[in-house]
Amino acid sequence: MINSSEFLDFLREKGFSFATGVPCSYFSRMIDEFENLKAISYIPATREDEAVGIASGIAFGGARAFVIMQNSGYATIGDALTSLAQLYKLPMLLIVSWRGLEPDRDFPEHSLMGEVTEDTLVGYHVPYWEMKEEDWQETIELALTEMDETSRPVALLVKQGVL
Amino acid sequence: MTMYGFEIIQELASVLSGDEIIVSSNGNISRQVYHFLPKPQIYLRGSMGLPVPVGLGMAMARPGKQILTLVGDGNLLMGLGSLTTTSFIRPSNLKILILDNNAYATTGSQMTSSGILEYPSLLDGFGIPNIVPILQDDPIELIKEKLQLWIDASELCVLPALVDSNPPTLTNIPWHPEQITEFQKNISS
Repeated sequence: MINSSEFLDFLREKGFSFATGVPCSYFSRMIDEFENLKAISYIPATREDEAVGIASGIAFGGARAFVIMQNSGYATIGDALTSLAQLYKLPMLLIVSWRGLEPDRDFPEHSLMGEVTEDTLVGYHVPYWEMKEEDWQETIELALTEMDETSRPVALLVKQGVL
Repeated sequence: MTMYGFEIIQELASVLSGDEIIVSSNGNISRQVYHFLPKPQIYLRGSMGLPVPVGLGMAMARPGKQILTLVGDGNLLMGLGSLTTTSFIRPSNLKILILDNNAYATTGSQMTSSGILEYPSLLDGFGIPNIVPILQDDPIELIKEKLQLWIDASELCVLPALVDSNPPTLTNIPWHPEQITEFQKNISS
């Protein structure tokens, strides 16, 4: 499991001073860690599209935000991506939990979205990487390079037990 | 007496100090802000329901600027939850003007359900400082006074305006959204 404090410090060093989103149980340790790390302001949003809107405003203002959400929440942000963040070239890092896989066999509400998560990322032209414990820094570097080169949102998919 | 939303936007010109950045909502409001107010501003084209969150993010990233978010009733209702987030964060440099014409005017003036809203108690309930709404029969001096109070507020503030719907036909914004983002990069903090 990636150390939450190291993870947030790494993102802070990469220039992220804001975070927003809607929680997933996979991210509970990271969200708790926001309490200790005052260098990143966390804005709890009511919906994931609202969070993309907030991150877009932050990007308009020249700062960086990452956005946390479940893949169920990713299913609600199509318009926020296509008619705002992607259209206006507003970079942001989406950190998306990959629910609906084997550990979620008792949560049928996640099953279909788990199956189509990669298809929907591809469908909306969002470059993505699965973030794994063994090489998470390298993966984030790759994602941020793409984000900076394209000035558009990129995504990290996170399975259970990674963060 | 009638007072149209675009007339309120025109009146705004006289209270702007030049230190504000306007976030305007998709459709007529963005077009009117483009045509009637100083340029450049952040003219949203799509993302219905998100002008309030965009204004909130902008206010946090640019604390040295006054951020004015102009939103219609249909747009506000689609993102109503964002008022909670905005109240929770409470940036003192964020001001929201609600232009409520009780219609989706951009798509042909189909009605919205906003007629049942009572803005002062709604906003009080959200914990958001607010100014007595502008009404259709307010004399122009009173409208200017409310706009001035709103823009001069030392904290987060919302001004609702109940207006008539008859948007002028305006040409579309000629700038590509990517240019709109580029212009912001050149604005000093």
